[in-house]
Amino acid sequence: MSEPARQVERARQVERARRIVLAALRIGLGALFVVAGVLKLRDPTAFATEIANYKLFPSLAPYLATCLPAIEIVAGAALMVAPLAWRRAAALVTMGLLATFTVAVVYVVRSGINVDCGCFGGNSGPVTAWTIARDLALLGAAVLIFRDKERYAH
Amino acid sequence: MSTLVRAFVLVVSGALVGVAGNAARPHGLKVAAFAPPTQCSGAEGHAAAEVLQPSEATTLCGQAGVVIADTRPAPAFAEGHVAGAVHLPCDAGGQAAVEALAHFERAHTILVYGASTDDARAVADSLQQRHPAVRVALLGGGFQAWSAAGLACASGPCNECKASNP
Repeated sequence: MSEPARQVERARQVERARRIVLAALRIGLGALFVVAGVLKLRDPTAFATEIANYKLFPSLAPYLATCLPAIEIVAGAALMVAPLAWRRAAALVTMGLLATFTVAVVYVVRSGINVDCGCFGGNSGPVTAWTIARDLALLGAAVLIFRDKERYAH
Repeated sequence: MSTLVRAFVLVVSGALVGVAGNAARPHGLKVAAFAPPTQCSGAEGHAAAEVLQPSEATTLCGQAGVVIADTRPAPAFAEGHVAGAVHLPCDAGGQAAVEALAHFERAHTILVYGASTDDARAVADSLQQRHPAVRVALLGGGFQAWSAAGLACASGPCNECKASNP
């Protein structure tokens, strides 16, 4: 095989690997959002309490507890199975949600507020620096999915 | 249709599904009536708990229908607490708060304390709002005053709470 042909083949392999990684990230992130939304739906009153404990906008807690789980499920499902243009929109929604979650957990860790995360409904464990790292990693995955423009060409 | 518009459609449709689903559930969240079980500061409303000094409060110990609640963080509770106290930190999480509040269902008196008098005031006031028919009292001087008076304390996790409280 000539050198140019080898380079083309290598580029194909890299592109194939990139697509596989991005597809895995997209499906994994979508599934995580669906699971998180379903777990939060089990006990909306407990979830509203968790949100109120963050002390950011406690008066909004019942409204967020009502809407947020379903938004997560819709965005997660769209990220996994919707047509390409809608997947990019779902990636944008997950980016927005994860950015908001990250700000909230950074706020409670910096304020020293001891609060249950509520990330996966009741008994999700306390908010720690690990929660911030996890949210940032997920946010990074959402950004990668959103920026993958070729896949979402329309 | 732009990506931004599609994202907006996803958020709005999700929110609508959430509101409709909650309305359809028999045990859904009562949005208008929701109040957190405990508050760390700024309890709204006019309910205000009375303050009992340790010497008065100690007469309540061991009485049926009296529940003692400790609002301090877990490490302080583990170091020592009023014997038989239920742990109800002001920022108790959903399930933990529900479990702690279950102790109050048959209580006629709830004695609340923190590190100081004011430390537990918001939680006491919010409990008084939540249970208007129950006498909610605040321990004057908090755990510090109780401990200084040499009254009964326990250490470590509160294993006896469920057994000793109604």
